[in-house]
Amino acid sequence: MKQQKNGFKIGCIVLFLGLTIYYLFPTVQWNLEQRHMANMTETERVQYENENQAKLQNIRERSLSLGLDLQGGMYVTLEVGTPQLVLELAGDFADDTLEDIISTAAQISRDQNTNFIDEFVSEFERRDPNAMLSRYYRSDAANITRRSTNSEIASYLRNQQTAAVERAIEIIRSRVDRFGVTEPGILQQGSNRIVVELPGVDDEERVRDLLRGTARLEFRLTPETDEINNLKQQFANFFSQLEEEEADSLTDDGEVKNLLEIFDLRGSSQYSFGYAAGRDTAAVNRILEREEVQNLIPGNITLLWGANAFAYDNGIPLYEIIPVRSQIELTGDVISEARVAFDPNTNAPEVSMTMDSDGARRWARITGANIGRPVAIVLDEQIYSYPTVRSQINNGRSSISGIGGVREAEDLVNILMSGALPAPLDIIEERTVGASLGEASIRAGLYSIMFGLGVVAIFMIVYYRTGGGIADLALMLNIIFILGILAGFQATLTLPGIAGIVLTIGMAVDANVLIFDRIREEMRGGKTLRASIDNGYANAMSAIIDANVTTFFVAIILYSFGVGPIKGFAVTLMAGIVASLFSAIVITRVIVDYLTREKTATVSFG
Amino acid sequence: MRWFETPNFDFIKAHNIAYFFSGGLIVMSIVAILTMGLNYGIDFRGGQEFVFEFEEPVDVVQLRSELAEPLGTVPEIKLFGSTREILLRIDTEEDITQTRETLIANFGNIYPGNTVTVQKTDLVGPRFAEDLRRGAMYSIIFALAVVFIYIFIRFKGWYFSAGAIAALAHDVLIVLGIFTIMGEIAPFDVSIDQAIIAAFLTIVGYSLNDTVVVFDRIRENSIIYKTMNFTDMINKSLNDTLSRTVVTSVTTLFVVSVLFIFGGEVLKGFAFALVLGVILGTYSSLFVASALVVELQKRAMKAKA
Repeated sequence: MKQQKNGFKIGCIVLFLGLTIYYLFPTVQWNLEQRHMANMTETERVQYENENQAKLQNIRERSLSLGLDLQGGMYVTLEVGTPQLVLELAGDFADDTLEDIISTAAQISRDQNTNFIDEFVSEFERRDPNAMLSRYYRSDAANITRRSTNSEIASYLRNQQTAAVERAIEIIRSRVDRFGVTEPGILQQGSNRIVVELPGVDDEERVRDLLRGTARLEFRLTPETDEINNLKQQFANFFSQLEEEEADSLTDDGEVKNLLEIFDLRGSSQYSFGYAAGRDTAAVNRILEREEVQNLIPGNITLLWGANAFAYDNGIPLYEIIPVRSQIELTGDVISEARVAFDPNTNAPEVSMTMDSDGARRWARITGANIGRPVAIVLDEQIYSYPTVRSQINNGRSSISGIGGVREAEDLVNILMSGALPAPLDIIEERTVGASLGEASIRAGLYSIMFGLGVVAIFMIVYYRTGGGIADLALMLNIIFILGILAGFQATLTLPGIAGIVLTIGMAVDANVLIFDRIREEMRGGKTLRASIDNGYANAMSAIIDANVTTFFVAIILYSFGVGPIKGFAVTLMAGIVASLFSAIVITRVIVDYLTREKTATVSFG
Repeated sequence: MRWFETPNFDFIKAHNIAYFFSGGLIVMSIVAILTMGLNYGIDFRGGQEFVFEFEEPVDVVQLRSELAEPLGTVPEIKLFGSTREILLRIDTEEDITQTRETLIANFGNIYPGNTVTVQKTDLVGPRFAEDLRRGAMYSIIFALAVVFIYIFIRFKGWYFSAGAIAALAHDVLIVLGIFTIMGEIAPFDVSIDQAIIAAFLTIVGYSLNDTVVVFDRIRENSIIYKTMNFTDMINKSLNDTLSRTVVTSVTTLFVVSVLFIFGGEVLKGFAFALVLGVILGTYSSLFVASALVVELQKRAMKAKA
């Protein structure tokens, strides 16, 4: 009977060991391969990698992966700007009232941590209980008519949000793939957040631009020179008059209020509105945003900054404002292909673009109608160039010049090709770990595991003699099991995860301590060794179960609330509890039973 | 080797001293937290954090004062493991690249020729920090609630649950208090971030282990010794399990100390919380949890009578 029971236990042990070895094998292989490749020269390595590509990729994918805190890399949490999305969905119907409602709702949902769309609808209805959202959102494409109810539209907005997040994830994935990161992790978190994990990346600024980059490309016409001169005159009149009337009160808070002090109403060409030094552009923007200044600008004209300095004054970069038409002639949606090219004359990098057939047709019409006049190429609200159209362009070609360098051009191509983000993305969390700190952490973690294991193992042998030795064996297997479970569930090993393993070493022996102490107690009571062992295991069981179940609950809670590396800690804690229960109860029992198979056998529990 | 083979300590009688000691620590912790405020780390406060490694040793005090002007605010700077590495924390709305550039440019001015590399950067937006804070709070409350319910079901007495929860709250509160007091003086980072919350929950789990083992023995003894009075039975249970409690605490204390010493700078605060937690957890399950159970049980009986 007993033999049979242990037969089952031994079967379980063999099965688990087999599974563990199966799951850990690729990890061992991968480490061996890496060591092997480290000894090669660069050319040998490249050749070896090419020859064994499929095999290498296979074992790497199946091996236990290390968290960003251990291998170095970048971790970014992005948030999809739902308020902006809701505003954009209203399209041309959007007005000041809607904008106001959206910004109020955004504030409320931020303060109270509630869903933005719910707040938006209730704020809308609070202002006017009879108002219909369909006023802003009716659209044939979305099947929303004038009679659609507010709740129908709320669910439409929610669907749009979900779609926007999904689309944003797709776009980010495509951008990251083009950037060339191995094993990136891109995951949705909650309703409107995206977590991007980029192992081995250390060029944060570039990645940040790449992830957030909206690349809203627009082609716009410029106003007639008469209109521009007229506008300049208006500005000159307004600000010189201002100076006479309110000269004293204007600069009381240290802020320049007279545009003419920092802005020169001349420029590099007849199409320029004027220029300012780079450090003054923010102040110029603040002045331009003022309502009385906005009133000077006609509705069909928009003032935009040039992307690059057009000249330098004693090393200070000068930027100019170019007025363009408010109407957008063509957007980046029509771009079917973009690539890096070089200007044949200056050899400066530029992005050369090809449009799809619809875009090419419209581009031909626009260029045909505006020969001899400039068309501004606007990227993210900045003017890159405004070349004069010399002849009608029929092949749908266009290019963006004035780009900083080849790498910027490459990134821009990447962003243009992966498509425009449906809504702006905010970086709300960003963490980077350098590779050397990661290596130091791995080393520290390994030392901790070895020292922890050594100290506990010696203590157990000293305190429980043979029993301690058995517990130590179970402890070693326990650690292998934990790693096997992690690899099997494709979990990631993080620094807190290693800490979890170290902690498990200390706590895993607890079950054996409970059992062995119980055996000692039973023996003190005068029972035989065999009876004491049976009773010891049986009586300790309820305490072991209760203690581990509660800890397991805590680990689950940690897992569901924690983010990033903390999740890794929770996972190893859970794996540790399961593995240590198995090794402390089942494995030690089989060994103890084996050692006491003869009636006369003795096993010392210290 | 045997420790405490047949001990016969009167733990419950010692409870007055324990209450006095624990009460003192708790008052100290609450006063510290109320007056100094919780020392939130980047996760819960938001802002930017960097770890820089220099080639030559640097002076933290000098850096702090010389960086105040260019940054527009005094940054928090601590040594990070060696005198060549610093942890710098700053609250700013500025773009993180810009902050980094400003810092590196200024390091160059303060210590010309001392090359610096960026080891680690963290940026947490204020709203995200708020979310993390909320998540951490929920997770602790939720963990305590689950523990309460589980113990209630398994040990069939609310006073067991209450005793266990009080002991857990006691442990966490005192660790929080010590972290707050050590905020300025500790030679390593003791700010409260997500890792510390993970440590707290681990302390909860660990301290609970000890408490549950004792409760389990109480449950067992109450069946065997039906006539023994409640206080004596609890005392007997504590003594019965004392050897196990001490051995497990020792092994766990070994490993968390190893983690504290060898686990590297990133884990210092986390390991420190665990060291404190193991010590407090052992103490509280011996002297606080059971004593409270006795007290609560007595009151419950009186109320019934």
